[in-house]
Amino acid sequence: MRRILYAGVALAVIAGAVAWFLSAPRPLDESVLAGLQPADATRGERVFWAGGCVSCHARPGAEGDAQLELAGGLGLGSPFGTFVAPNISPHPTDGIGSWSELDFVNAMMRGLAPDGSHLYPAFPYASYGRMTPQDVVDLFAFIKTLPPVEGKAGKSDIPFPFSIRRAVGFWKLLYLSDEPVVAFGDGTDPAVRRGQYLVEGPGHCGECHTARTALGGLEYSQWLAGAPSLEGRGRIPNITPSQDGIGSWSASDIAYYLESGFTPDFDSAGGEMAKVVRNMARLPSEDREAIAAYLKAIPPKP
Amino acid sequence: MVSAGTVAAQDNPIKSRQALMDAAAGAAGIAVPMLKGEMEYNPAVAKAAIATFYGVATAGQAFFPEGSAGDSKAAPKIWEDPEGFKAAFAKFQSAAEAAFQASGKEGPADLKAFQAAVGPVLQNCGSCHETYRLE
Repeated sequence: MRRILYAGVALAVIAGAVAWFLSAPRPLDESVLAGLQPADATRGERVFWAGGCVSCHARPGAEGDAQLELAGGLGLGSPFGTFVAPNISPHPTDGIGSWSELDFVNAMMRGLAPDGSHLYPAFPYASYGRMTPQDVVDLFAFIKTLPPVEGKAGKSDIPFPFSIRRAVGFWKLLYLSDEPVVAFGDGTDPAVRRGQYLVEGPGHCGECHTARTALGGLEYSQWLAGAPSLEGRGRIPNITPSQDGIGSWSASDIAYYLESGFTPDFDSAGGEMAKVVRNMARLPSEDREAIAAYLKAIPPKP
Repeated sequence: MVSAGTVAAQDNPIKSRQALMDAAAGAAGIAVPMLKGEMEYNPAVAKAAIATFYGVATAGQAFFPEGSAGDSKAAPKIWEDPEGFKAAFAKFQSAAEAAFQASGKEGPADLKAFQAAVGPVLQNCGSCHETYRLE
């Protein structure tokens, strides 16, 4: 009897140690920065609009230049609780002004805070993990040129058991990868490749346009095929080139939509997508055309 | 006494406002291709588009009575922030009215005049939908 008890305790200890090991943070080290060009804020601004940082990190309702005050405060509803976007302005204590370049790279690409704790994937690092380190450091350089804003954003409201941050480590084992989502062969049009990078990486389009598993990861077999809105009412549309999606749109229809918000029927985007369009409108036209080329090239889904 | 318009709005406000928005989309479907040079510029056609926006912008707000969200894409924000919604419609209305007045009898003389008149009207589509429509 006692022997069984010892064995049980030993197993539990081993299981605990394995769980602790598996859920551990896996930061990138300095070598990720080696060989990069010096960070460039001008290039970083393009990444900034491609990523749509202001959609979540500007004060809710901010317009024009006020959007560049990255005070945070927007609440994102989800089945796991309400996540409040933090202040990411370059304020030294309330924002990210005292972060190192490597801290920023680890937040973006590994979902880690500077103290090594896991960030929740409401911050879409599962997409940003596909970015190039060069783009990430350029983005950081641009954010540092923006005004520092005093004051922390509100606290997220995350009920137990999702409040256990360490458990996010398991989620990352399942869902954090730098592999591309769609496999394209050799000789693929460079515009499609560029579009792939923008959509699957910084643009994080799949975070809303792809259905999620019960664990809150993306269902990659349904890539960009639409999803219930995480915020309740409505459905996020299928943007694959199928009949249920946007198969009837030409590439130039898609590019114009991303610039103006007008669909081929001259309906005009609303809600979150209207914000996305405002950001996309700031990109050079070749980036919108690249996104369109990619969306025409991916597998159609019903 | 309530006006006939109010009665119609109460009968089926969702259908009424959707028909108005379809009219605006139809007008954008003329305006944008002309602006992009995909359709030949024609002052009378340009004026028809502007007049449509003017009508929609002036009448539209009456068709959002309290409790009429139904199964539509109208965002709850319309009724949570009625002052903001009113202001957004007023902005659309004044841009459309200015465009209508600038059109004159014959319509805007050339594409440049049309662009100057209709540009500020079209901006309202996205900015209003961002807050007051779901998708």
